[in-house]
Amino acid sequence: MGNVLVLAEHRQGALRDVSFEMLAVAPKIAEELGGEAVVLLMGSGMDDMAKKMTGYGLKVMVVDDPAFENFNAEKYQMALSALLDDLKPSVLMVGHTAQGVDFMPALAVEKKLPLVADVVELAFEDGTLKATRQLYSGKVNAVVAFKPADTFLVTFREGAVEAPEASAAGDVEKLDSPLKEEVPYRKFVEYVEAEVGDVDITQSDILVAIGRGLKEDKNLPMVEELATAIKADIAGSRAATDAGWIPHDRQVGTSGKAVKPKLYIAMGISGAFQHLAGMKGAKTIVAINKDPEAPIFTVADYAIVDDMFKVLPKLTEKLKELK
Amino acid sequence: MQTFTEKYDLLGCIQCGRCTGGCPVTVRADLNVRQFVNDAYDEDKLEELAKLAEIWDCTACHTCAVRCPKGLKPLEVLIGLRTMIVESGKVEPTVRDALQSVLLEGNPWEKSRATRSDWMEGLDVRIADPDEPVENLFFVCCTIAYDPRVRAVAQNMVKLLNKAGVDYAFLPEDESCCGSEVLTLGEEGLFEMQVEDNTEYLNEFKAERIVTLSPHCFTTYKTHYPDLKTPVVHYTQLLVDLLNDGKLSWKGELPKKIVYHDPCYLGKQGGIYDEPRELLKSIPGAELVEFERRRERSLCCEGGGGKMWVESESKKERLSDTRIKDAKELGAEIVAVACPFCVLTLEDSMKGLGYEEEMRVAEIMELLGELMET
Ligand SMILES: Cc1cc2nc3c(=O)[nH]c(=O)nc-3n(C[C@H](O)[C@H](O)[C@H](O)COP(=O)(O)OP(=O)(O)OC[C@H]3O[C@@H](n4cnc5c(N)ncnc54)[C@H](O)[C@@H]3O)c2cc1C
Ligand code: SF4
Ligand code: SF4
Repeated sequence: MGNVLVLAEHRQGALRDVSFEMLAVAPKIAEELGGEAVVLLMGSGMDDMAKKMTGYGLKVMVVDDPAFENFNAEKYQMALSALLDDLKPSVLMVGHTAQGVDFMPALAVEKKLPLVADVVELAFEDGTLKATRQLYSGKVNAVVAFKPADTFLVTFREGAVEAPEASAAGDVEKLDSPLKEEVPYRKFVEYVEAEVGDVDITQSDILVAIGRGLKEDKNLPMVEELATAIKADIAGSRAATDAGWIPHDRQVGTSGKAVKPKLYIAMGISGAFQHLAGMKGAKTIVAINKDPEAPIFTVADYAIVDDMFKVLPKLTEKLKELK
Repeated sequence: MQTFTEKYDLLGCIQCGRCTGGCPVTVRADLNVRQFVNDAYDEDKLEELAKLAEIWDCTACHTCAVRCPKGLKPLEVLIGLRTMIVESGKVEPTVRDALQSVLLEGNPWEKSRATRSDWMEGLDVRIADPDEPVENLFFVCCTIAYDPRVRAVAQNMVKLLNKAGVDYAFLPEDESCCGSEVLTLGEEGLFEMQVEDNTEYLNEFKAERIVTLSPHCFTTYKTHYPDLKTPVVHYTQLLVDLLNDGKLSWKGELPKKIVYHDPCYLGKQGGIYDEPRELLKSIPGAELVEFERRRERSLCCEGGGGKMWVESESKKERLSDTRIKDAKELGAEIVAVACPFCVLTLEDSMKGLGYEEEMRVAEIMELLGELMET
């Protein structure tokens, strides 16, 4: 049929960003296929969410069934299996999330359909759909073609593209629940909130990290000023948490947390092996250290060899100007 | 399946409390190992016990095992409980990543296996070959191979062996983690696999002895590898033999007050107390002083037992801080150790206490290396 079916994901009553992000990709692919992009929402009490999803000029199909009140991979698999038979879309797109990876492989096996996981880009080349995925922590892009099939399955990475601007309202179509029987194995037990402190540094986009070079806590406001200016969270080495300058849940490293921000600014941190292990996932690393031999410079993309107390105020000032 | 009680001989316990009495971490954490030995008898309680945070405070120092009059290993009850948590998958991501890295890359530091021998760069190292018999086959240790802070232990060893004309070879980059930390983190299945793989791998080489650079590998091979054919020694044992044979000589002087810290894995667990001291005494100009808590009573630095990947909830003074303060009181200028983990814990405390100007933490091989060159 040429349609691209996008499964909108939600958790605890809120739509996930990836649901919107996929809408930046799906219509273009549908156009090439001579079909249209259609949003699928499954849940219980879906009116509000359906309204939000209609803002993109696309048809939204809603399955409203109390059986979907809580996520259950087995129910999703059963329902999608029936819907694929009914709707025969050319592509089914689902977020590459804890939910998506829970049922898509099983669905692919059940329906004998090709699945490409963790896709960051979808495009048409030579008349066929090609998916791009990343290898070696993003250092290599691999372009993957699908085996010929009626439907291609895709799990799409969160944050890979920007969500489109909202546009005209689309229609809502209510579907009968495809769930006709009880699922045999999986049962929803409870929803466990992740235990996090005030800030979860593993989720931060920008981190300003301090080490023993801070010397004393009266120097902290300078760092906080920079962090505020660039909307960063503050993290640090074990030396910084041991000194009590920041709480333990802000420690980066083997006995702390592994972080993967877009920007990591390390100041007064020597770059011990146990620290580097926790921040190697950062996209861009800026290091400020007065010792040119400090190991932190072996991993830094930008190195500032100077006294952090001289650099900090100037950096903050410049960054404020840029705003 | 063995029950907990059978596996750890819990009925052998007389609840004398010597284990808890000697346990060093009781001063900073809520851990009461005797209580665990008592409570683990009730199989219905195990799941609750496994959820207690303090099971992760144990450093596997083995003080409790050394002191138990009934020959029990109380710490193993704690590790058994960790195993339950590991099996349920509810471990810290840091622990999960370290274990996964051991499985995939043969080291817990999430480093590529292909770079394991990078420390050899620029050195004239003899590499072991299963077809060539050798006297001393060296096993490096993941931490020494990868952490730049302690790489000098291996690098200086190569220089020393070349100079002394010793018949040696180092294992190539397919050397894999001994499993010391895997064992104490409670990943029983992975550890069993490591024992099997490493035994097969090491038995291929024709060596008179395997020389380990880290006491963690030393103790693990000695106590948990029953089918290993080649005897295992710690490097300090080999060096003392070389010293007595007149094969080692030092060029410079080190007129400093040195205190030796007995690593738990070398002393309490490996029974090696004298060799490191003999090496230090051989240093011209050095004055060796002793901690009050030394040898079997040595204070644990909290580096073992998987602590590299699990932080204590306790905010109380780290044992490594206490140790460095003790060293300061003795007027020690160098705290010498024979373990890469002790270097990391003690040096961090030394810096944290602000003694960087007047004190140094060093692995014995770092000191010996400098005396060869000067
Ligand atoms: C069991 C164990 C687990 C560990 N786990 C972790 C962990 O999870 N995370 C972690 O971070 N560490 C961990 N460590 C500690 C680690 O080994 C290092 O000791 C620690 O990371 C050092 O912290 P630091 O870089 O802040 O301090 P230092 O190593 O003391 O470095 C301070 C740096 O600040 C620089 N500096 C000083 N003043 C200035 C100035 N005015 N301007 C600019 N630069 C300045 C100095 O040149 C120096 O490089 C662990 C250690 C052990 C033993
Ligand atoms: S020292 Fe041994 S016998 Fe005594 S309480 Fe501890 S485990 Fe039991
Ligand atoms: S091994 Fe050491 S830290 Fe662990 S319980 Fe025994 S004495 Fe305490």
